[in-house]
Amino acid sequence: MGNWFSSIFQGILGGDKDVRILILGLDGAGKTTILYRMQIGEVVSTIPTIGFNVETVSYKNIKFQVWDLGGQTSIRPYWRCYYANTDAVIYVVDSCDRDRIGTSRDELASMLSEDELRQSVLLVFANKQDMKGAMSAAEVSEALGLPRLKNRQWGIYKTSALKGEGLSEGLDWLVNAIQRK
Amino acid sequence: MMNAAIQTNIARLQIMKAKVLAALRKGENYELKTELNSEYKERRKEAVRRVIANMTVGKDVSGLFTDVLKNMHTDDLEIKKLIYLYLINYAKTQPDLVILAINTFVKDAEDSNPLIRALAIRTMGCLHVQEVLDYLCDPLRKCLKDSNPYVRKTAVMCVAKVYDLNAEVAEENGFIDSVRESLSDSNTMVVSNAVSTLVEMNDMAPNQDIWKLDPGMVGKLLTAINECIEWGQIAILETLVEYAPRDEKEAENICERVLPRLQHANGSVVLTTVRLLLKYEKYVRRADLLSQFSKKMVPPLITLLSSEPEIQYVALRNINIILQRHPTLLSKEIRVFFCRYNDPIYVKYEKLDVLVRICSERNVEPLLNELKEYAKEVDVDFVSRAVQAISRLAIRYESAAEKAVKVLQELLQTKINHIIQNAMVAFQEVLRRYPNRFDSVVEGLCEYIDEVDEPDARAALFWIVGEYSEHVANVSNILTSSLESFLEEKDECVQLALVSASVKFFLKSPQKGQSLVLKALQTATEKCANPDVRDRAYIYWRLLSADPNAARSVVLIDKPPIELDDADLSPQLLEELVNELGCVSSVLQKPAKLFVYKLAEKAGVPRDSDATGMGLEEADSAVAGGSGGSTSGIDTTNEGEPELLISF
Repeated sequence: MGNWFSSIFQGILGGDKDVRILILGLDGAGKTTILYRMQIGEVVSTIPTIGFNVETVSYKNIKFQVWDLGGQTSIRPYWRCYYANTDAVIYVVDSCDRDRIGTSRDELASMLSEDELRQSVLLVFANKQDMKGAMSAAEVSEALGLPRLKNRQWGIYKTSALKGEGLSEGLDWLVNAIQRK
Repeated sequence: MMNAAIQTNIARLQIMKAKVLAALRKGENYELKTELNSEYKERRKEAVRRVIANMTVGKDVSGLFTDVLKNMHTDDLEIKKLIYLYLINYAKTQPDLVILAINTFVKDAEDSNPLIRALAIRTMGCLHVQEVLDYLCDPLRKCLKDSNPYVRKTAVMCVAKVYDLNAEVAEENGFIDSVRESLSDSNTMVVSNAVSTLVEMNDMAPNQDIWKLDPGMVGKLLTAINECIEWGQIAILETLVEYAPRDEKEAENICERVLPRLQHANGSVVLTTVRLLLKYEKYVRRADLLSQFSKKMVPPLITLLSSEPEIQYVALRNINIILQRHPTLLSKEIRVFFCRYNDPIYVKYEKLDVLVRICSERNVEPLLNELKEYAKEVDVDFVSRAVQAISRLAIRYESAAEKAVKVLQELLQTKINHIIQNAMVAFQEVLRRYPNRFDSVVEGLCEYIDEVDEPDARAALFWIVGEYSEHVANVSNILTSSLESFLEEKDECVQLALVSASVKFFLKSPQKGQSLVLKALQTATEKCANPDVRDRAYIYWRLLSADPNAARSVVLIDKPPIELDDADLSPQLLEELVNELGCVSSVLQKPAKLFVYKLAEKAGVPRDSDATGMGLEEADSAVAGGSGGSTSGIDTTNEGEPELLISF
């Protein structure tokens, strides 16, 4: 009964409630490219993001408000300003950057330990699969320590933002995961 | 079933109540923070509006920086503008966080809408934060070459801001050259902004070598000026003021081409044009041209006086300066400056000042009649200034003295207390200026002894009594009864005047005055607590006991004539103020280098050492005080003491 009431109110008041998604990851992982690939389906030329991009992406009749935050060391401390009300985090990893996968793991771990992200779903994109010598999804997953995560819905997909491969599979999983929540 | 539902609803309500209370406890900013992060667009928009509203009334909302920032990426131009406003306000307090905004700025600077491009580039410059500088250069370079003139003119202005922040960066990126090129832009707004940017950078540059106006450019600017908006016109005019024409011909040409600016509706354009014409007087030699220029200046200045009071005030302050350069410029227009009953008081003061300044022998009579009316108004301060003006006119024009005395007498007859006080001081000044000419009025003045209660006025009356004791029948009564209350006088100037008056009376009529002077000196030396009064009484006493004849030659000699100091501003200061006509400095009547610290540094006026700064300021305010109508020459000589001091 109570649920019924609240769903009616939601319908009246919150006409355009968006699903809020953050795209995070180290600098140069391809976050901005993924964002615009998702939004307009094209590869745009990007410059390092000093600050953030935010776009509304419609996928399967669901409106996503997608935040792409700059990944440079100087900006990472400010990621936390954007955590509130986040439904899902897309964490992008450069699968070729074996040197910094450790840094990437640490950043991921400290991010997931934040209270505000307790309820958020985690989707990892092992990006740049079009390049030679890229780590496989399993390798990335292991390197990031995903299997050891507790109380977290997570998924990993190998992607190539340049070719547009793997993104829709990942988003399908995300839509399901959010609806299941 | 129903019961359970009600209970869950009650539980929900209680949770909501707790949340509201918690929000209230945490204050408005906490609530705004939640709203700014809301999932709903409309609520975020409303929250941004509220944040800006709070900011404008001075509440500290800097804590919401990141939350506001998150909303800047929007298609809503209104919200974007508001957030940019917020950033300008708080960027300096949060320089680290400003970089979060850069991506949006850079994108906006490439937006398809020129308004947004210009807004982004302007705001980035206004942030005035070092951290932004690196990211500003690329967009700025693009905007300087933008296809839209609005973007170009904004970008040109931004260069000055970059230069202010870091001159080297501006130079290395070739921004200064770009601005120089913009002088030849097809759009006049861009040209005028380029001019003001270059002028401003020139002012900042240590050697002022950023730019020098050359004759070729002058022609272009003179063409551009006709199409600019007022800001641009002012910028160009100010540049031309600083320009030194090569020859007389060029100077004449420039003057003639800016003359139409005098008809502009904007007061600042008019005043800056006047400034240019006054400055160029030294380059133009042809008398007929000069008088033509002067004639053309008059109507626009008069027109300014029919605008709103604030503009009138500025105009009057400037007219005051112009008149010191051209005293006769507005003599025919004296009626324009007559005060209207509903003028604000600050306008009345200035008008009064201008009236006294432009008055000539020819129109002094009607002005005195006008001043008489002012003296009957309700505002005590204004009345006092009006009466002062009467005495100033009387002192300046001998032919008007008779009329002035008549007016003052009429004012005394009003029997209104504060008018009497002021009139008495005025009488003293007139009598001091024209000794022995108005002997007949003195007797009448003494009738007001009981009404005169202000120290200045009392001192004035006693001075008159002392000087003219031979024309007053009951001097000894007046002085004796005044001596009774000697110790109750509120101000030492009255006591000093009373002592002096007694001595003068004694020297003029020793028989009648002997006991009186003794009593005065005794009271002053034995009972008075004021050392100045005591000292003066002692000096008189010694002088009298040493040699009464010598005393007579000291106390009763002819006094040097008093003069009005009409040249209120020193020639040098006047020159500076004429150069800053239409600026704040002309209103304050203080050169800009005294209060604009960048100029002060350049001029070598020490900013931190208050002593020097104060000294200059005081010197200035003394000068300004002169223009307020106090005839300072009289104050020091009106009691016959300087003579005494000289003799010792």
